[in-house]
Amino acid sequence: MNTFSMYVARESGLHKLYPLTKASLTLLLLIAGLTLPVNWAGYFLVLFVIFPLAIWGKVFKNFMRIVWSISLPFIISVIIIQSLFWGKGTPIFEFWILAPKIEGVIFATISVGRIILVMAGFILFAMTTRPDALMISLKQVGVPSSLAYIIVTTLQIVPRFVTKASTILDAQRSRGLETDGNLFVRSRAVVPIILPLVLGSLMEVEERAIAIEARGFNSNREETSLIEIPDTRAQFILRRIFMVLMILSIIARVAWQLST
Amino acid sequence: MLENIKKEFSTRILVLIPIAIAINIAIGELVVRLKLPVYLDSIGTVLVGAIAGPWAGALTGALTNLIWGLFNPFAAPFFYVAAVIGFLAGLAGKRGAFENESPRWLSVLVGAVFVFSLTMFILAFSNASIDDTGFTSYPSMADLFSQYAIIFVVAILIGAAIGYFLLQRGGYAGFWGLITGIVAAIISAPTAAYVFGGVTGSGTDVLVAAFRASGAGILSSVMAQGAVSDPFDKMLSFMVVWLILRSLPARFKAR
Repeated sequence: MNTFSMYVARESGLHKLYPLTKASLTLLLLIAGLTLPVNWAGYFLVLFVIFPLAIWGKVFKNFMRIVWSISLPFIISVIIIQSLFWGKGTPIFEFWILAPKIEGVIFATISVGRIILVMAGFILFAMTTRPDALMISLKQVGVPSSLAYIIVTTLQIVPRFVTKASTILDAQRSRGLETDGNLFVRSRAVVPIILPLVLGSLMEVEERAIAIEARGFNSNREETSLIEIPDTRAQFILRRIFMVLMILSIIARVAWQLST
Repeated sequence: MLENIKKEFSTRILVLIPIAIAINIAIGELVVRLKLPVYLDSIGTVLVGAIAGPWAGALTGALTNLIWGLFNPFAAPFFYVAAVIGFLAGLAGKRGAFENESPRWLSVLVGAVFVFSLTMFILAFSNASIDDTGFTSYPSMADLFSQYAIIFVVAILIGAAIGYFLLQRGGYAGFWGLITGIVAAIISAPTAAYVFGGVTGSGTDVLVAAFRASGAGILSSVMAQGAVSDPFDKMLSFMVVWLILRSLPARFKAR
């Protein structure tokens, strides 16, 4: 089934890890990279943790392509804005009205490290974790099944809705709705597209509610799952260690902030 | 308290939430295709808030951004902003903002105040001066008013027209959208400034650049950019939901 995710199926150790282990590692990387009072932590973590993991997960080529294409607009934007439009500072050179400041370039470089860290962390997690496996593991640690229902259903219906929106757009176009032209013309196209999409989908609510109630959605019995996801003692301990490290890096940040 | 939260999550609302998230994402991507300078990616969130209540709205908002993050990592760190938007939409719904028709003069007032403050805001920023110590000083309101009197009159007229023709009888919804937009701009700025160096990788970055060039700091530039685009965007989203709820058959609303 076509689901809304970046998952790439491979036979690798990283794919076989318990989803929550990967989730807590991703969270640790993000928290450490953003809170540690070291400006270059982002670059360090990407180079020495995320890249080796991507190679281990046998997705390095795809991974690099996606990280690159998603982060590039941010990187270009941050470099242009923060180096050229930095208020007071030491200019590196002056050419016409362009005068990039050293302080701005340093700030932009630090920001690029953070941007790549956030993007790469999320993308690696999404590429190596099946969304349904993540949900099952969340249920195993006690997340209510109604929340799991919401997430799994969303992942399944989003592609359908994106297609439906395009279909409505095409249908309205064929009736003469203008979707090209100046801003005013394009803005007027919004309501004739949104209203059919939303009203049509709301009519589905009734059917779906009856369908899941008929399948015992509100039952109080304990649920069982068809798929079992293996977890190991070592990974359980690893997750605890990750949690301690998260707390430590936040404490380090607070201590550093207080001392300066 | 807990009982009230539980009451918001009936089976119908649980079914509605995934649909609302899909609506958020589908419309969010559609708006990009139409190259419009708004986001409109919280219509589903506002809808759930309006129908079910603040907690269901907050959950819808947070999940939208987290799930979107599996595809577009930029959205994920802003999940708390989306949650607050859903929560405020829920409060607005409880106050009847989506059911009651407002008098048209209220819509005119909301529109006028909105465009007026937007103008004042942009003028204050573009006339800011920096002294040698790097301290930014803003012009006083009296100076601004005397200098740009005509612009302000035009702004008020445009705002009043927007209120009269666009908001029509949805003045309450528009008002709540405005408040939500301002809150969203303020609370999203620290994340945008710290995590993403103040950029969004989209067209609104031009605004950030303009504010930076006028001497404002990174955080205040991002906040200023948000203050220009967020209130308008949320006002529009609340208005669309108001329209949707009016178009729904009474049979649906009864539940």
